[in-house]
Amino acid sequence: MKNIGLILGVALAVVAAAVPAFGTPYMMGVVFQVAMWIALAQSWSMLSATTGYLSLGHAVFYGVGAYVCVLLTGTIPFEWALLAGAVAAAVFAAIVGLPVLRVRGPYFVILTYGLSELVRHVVMRIESALGSFGRMIFDVPRTEVLMWWMVGLAVLATLGAYAIRHSRFGAGLAAIREDEVAAETVGVPVTRLKLFAFIASAIIPGAVGGLALLRTSYFEPAQAFDPVISFTIVTMALVGGTETVRGPILGALGFALLSELLWSSLPQLYMIVLGLTLIIFILFVPRGLSGLFGRLGRAG
Amino acid sequence: MAFLDIKGVSKRFGGLMALSDVDMQVEKGEIFGLMGANGAGKTTLFSVIAGHVAPTTGEVVFDGQRLTGLSPSRVCRLGLCRTFQIVRPFAGLSVAENLRVAALYGSGRKLTSTEVAAVVDDALEAVDLTDRRDLDGGQLTLSGQKRLEIARALATGARLVMLDEVMAGLNPTEISAMLTTLERLRTERGLTFVIVEHVIGALMTLSDRILVLDHGERIAFGTPEEIGNHDRVAEVYFG
Ligand SMILES: Nc1ncnc2c1ncn2[C@@H]1O[C@H](COP(=O)(O)OP(=O)(O)OP(=O)(O)O)[C@@H](O)[C@H]1O
Ligand SMILES: [Mg+2]
Repeated sequence: MKNIGLILGVALAVVAAAVPAFGTPYMMGVVFQVAMWIALAQSWSMLSATTGYLSLGHAVFYGVGAYVCVLLTGTIPFEWALLAGAVAAAVFAAIVGLPVLRVRGPYFVILTYGLSELVRHVVMRIESALGSFGRMIFDVPRTEVLMWWMVGLAVLATLGAYAIRHSRFGAGLAAIREDEVAAETVGVPVTRLKLFAFIASAIIPGAVGGLALLRTSYFEPAQAFDPVISFTIVTMALVGGTETVRGPILGALGFALLSELLWSSLPQLYMIVLGLTLIIFILFVPRGLSGLFGRLGRAG
Repeated sequence: MAFLDIKGVSKRFGGLMALSDVDMQVEKGEIFGLMGANGAGKTTLFSVIAGHVAPTTGEVVFDGQRLTGLSPSRVCRLGLCRTFQIVRPFAGLSVAENLRVAALYGSGRKLTSTEVAAVVDDALEAVDLTDRRDLDGGQLTLSGQKRLEIARALATGARLVMLDEVMAGLNPTEISAMLTTLERLRTERGLTFVIVEHVIGALMTLSDRILVLDHGERIAFGTPEEIGNHDRVAEVYFG
């Protein structure tokens, strides 16, 4: 029961491996989406589930990764462009981290959202000043290759989140979530740890942004920095539950499947369902699907 | 040179002098009592020493190392830890987990997991919380949370511990149990304590020497007997 997060991660990798055998491009697309949301929600949890600093701006890391990747593809192999996207997101987090992490609670939520929107508008201005209204990418890798990369990132993010939670670093972050002043008093270097968590949570989203870009083979700032990405990450993580690493996996799976069903039948209901689910979970299932399953598991 | 040397510390909050030119020397191994009416500046002095509040003037030297300007976590890793008058447990973490964080970070060196477990067990034992180790910090009674504050400071491996009113709000039975615990800590560990207490009897029993503050100023210093017979103290403190 304890390592279910890892097991699910491995199971997903196995499913993905089986997909190409019987898989249609549609199936591969679904796996790509599910893996993408797992990677994002898991990365988000490295900062927000551990420290309680809820970021509502993770789209910025995804966007920075996508932007760097689009500027580089064609000049270097796509693997290196993805890596550059991840590094750029981490560097960006390192630069803005200290000032942003000075505020807590609702102020942090709003500040991260605002920062993400600010960067979106700056990139839009730059792009339109350059006379570019979206960039096409030619010669992208096959869907199957992209899917594999995304599954790899999902597994990596899950392992990373698991490792953080069970480390000395994770214990320090939990203390910060509970009481920052008390944590500092017993020797936890609060500022440094928060910054490390912020950077850790930015790396994989940078690469995810690059991959998502390659999949659509089209870059447009409004899309790459879309705040709906941030909202979806938070909703998935909270619905899945933030107390264990399996939470984000359950949340991402649930939502990706739900969205597949809804998009095909009732697309206009998607955002409504997203919002309703979030409200219901926050009010009635504060520990998320993971907590719910844990309880059923123990009862049974 | 004293183990903890406070030299001419002043702290101004706007128009209020919370501390005025306070000197204080704590020797290794003693229990140093700090006394004073409400608002005398006792907690502020703790905050200055531990690095939570920067002094307006003056400096603090601990074991030959200047603390002024260092962050509280750095001060803790150098071996000095304080507790909070208004308790601050990690409410959502178990009692043992509260202590584990202190053990993992407090000493400034990397302990093995066996060492960490030993430190945690030892700190639980020291304050009689062993049977509550799996409760959440927030589930303890006030008396339990005060004990957790002490245990967490011990688990950091601090050589000097500052206890801010660990008996306040406790009933007489709990106070006498706490007194027993503190007496035991004093005899069994080679630690140095600075304690603030409004329970005068306990402060007199425990302390080797006592400093009295009034409106941020030093008004008396001496052994418990000397303080008990001090005119100015009686006047200020007992009304
Ligand atoms: N952060 C602060 N900002 C402004 N004034 C403060 C601050 N902290 C303390 N004070 C003031 O400084 C004075 C000393 O406060 P302090 O808490 O040090 O007293 P104390 O001796 O611990 O009192 P008590 O016995 O009530 O705990 C008080 O007048 C208090 O109101
Ligand atoms: Mg006080």
